[in-house]
Amino acid sequence: MAYVAVSGGEEAIAASIALLDFYRSKTEKDVELEVIQEKMSLLVDRVMSEAGLYAKEYAALALKQCEGSVEEAVFLLRAYRSTLKRSYDTYVADTKNMRIVRRISAAFKDIQGGQILGATYDYTHRLMHFDLKNEDAAKLHERMEEMVEGQEPVPMEPCGRVSDELKTEGLIERFPINEEPPYDVTENLLEFPASRSARLQTLTRADAGFISGLAYSVLRGFGQVHPTVGELRTGYVELEIPYLQQEGETLWIGEVMLTEVEVFNEAEDKDALKLACGYGAVFGRNENKAIAMAVIDRELDAGGDYPTQDEEFVLMHGDSLEMNGFISHLKLPHYVTFQSKLDAVRKTRRENNHD
Amino acid sequence: MEKRRLSKILAKADAAQVRQMAEKIRKQYEVTVIKAPEKSLTMIKMRDPVKETLFFLGEVIVCEAIVCLDGIKGMAVIMGDDFEKVLDMAIIDAACNKGVFTDEGLLVELEKAQQTRVEKENAMFMQTMVNFTTMTPEA
Repeated sequence: MAYVAVSGGEEAIAASIALLDFYRSKTEKDVELEVIQEKMSLLVDRVMSEAGLYAKEYAALALKQCEGSVEEAVFLLRAYRSTLKRSYDTYVADTKNMRIVRRISAAFKDIQGGQILGATYDYTHRLMHFDLKNEDAAKLHERMEEMVEGQEPVPMEPCGRVSDELKTEGLIERFPINEEPPYDVTENLLEFPASRSARLQTLTRADAGFISGLAYSVLRGFGQVHPTVGELRTGYVELEIPYLQQEGETLWIGEVMLTEVEVFNEAEDKDALKLACGYGAVFGRNENKAIAMAVIDRELDAGGDYPTQDEEFVLMHGDSLEMNGFISHLKLPHYVTFQSKLDAVRKTRRENNHD
Repeated sequence: MEKRRLSKILAKADAAQVRQMAEKIRKQYEVTVIKAPEKSLTMIKMRDPVKETLFFLGEVIVCEAIVCLDGIKGMAVIMGDDFEKVLDMAIIDAACNKGVFTDEGLLVELEKAQQTRVEKENAMFMQTMVNFTTMTPEA
């Protein structure tokens, strides 16, 4: 396909961009970034995950700027991120020492460290709470603060993984520690076959809807059907980097909330009598995406004829920026290419009439 | 105090608390800014527990500053874009490196309060620990 540039329309385009504010101007009330950040936190988590950038306030600002459009917010964050240099890689963030706020297993009812439901919508009645229309936010804040302050402190204890116990029993394969530096899809084009690190980075940045749909297709029969969530854990992970002024010292730079999932499948090799695992890890409280990622990871390992088992199909079509950019370009002027299509149809019609 | 511990206490502290400690140092010593606070990215490295490979989860925005306190350097890096706080943290770090930081007791108090807060939050989450009972005997 050939591309032909168009020119003109500058004034109309400028007016169109200015008109975007019209839609944000329908109320005199402003939406504060803190409100978006703290009360729309699952939306913020989704945007950060798909942008590959953990920056709550910036994600909130991006959502404010684009009227809550996830793909536009992802675009804004990615564009902003590209203006910054990268100074550090963290030491390996240790999820074993995660400060857990939720941890469940669908495989075992009794797991070491216990199942912690945390805050979940899983067991809620999906009924509209109309009293929230006039909620006293200050009172809510005060009530929850009182609740926290009234607690008897409980020290955190690191929770071993469910899969560790199965590895000890020999029911899951144990792989040697691999220190190979990760492939970085933000700096290199994806190549196939993709390394495991490239796969995981691509999946964690993928559009939640895209990989959830793919995982759903697996459960409906277009794949290995029904994996079991061995463990889902959500919590805070501490980030550390080297302290450059003194060897051997580290700096604690902050913590990020993430969700990590391991799913268990039947063994590929029936004789080996071992379970196979898939892995997912995503920013925020974003558990369906983490489960979907783990399901897809396992499908890609298994290989086969289904779309979810095709590495190029899965990894090349789930990036929010790329997919929405390409779909969006269909709206832009295609006058020349469309004229040539139209000419071809007219020509064929003329030829047929002559016949 | 180890740098990990120092930086964790300061990063979690209110900017005003950090400012108070840094101001005391500013009044007594000459501070030269070697690297003015600026934003950059830090990539999070993780290990996948299934195949034990390393991979990149995503980036965080950090800000960083380096200062010199009467010839001794100090640095700070924190998530976010609070330039004033990161500069104050670098000054405190330099004071620690020079051996003239006098608010260690305050840091320990802050750490204790931060830890208590985290443990109180943890108590709420632990109250959601569940013990499911299966309705039919397990095979």
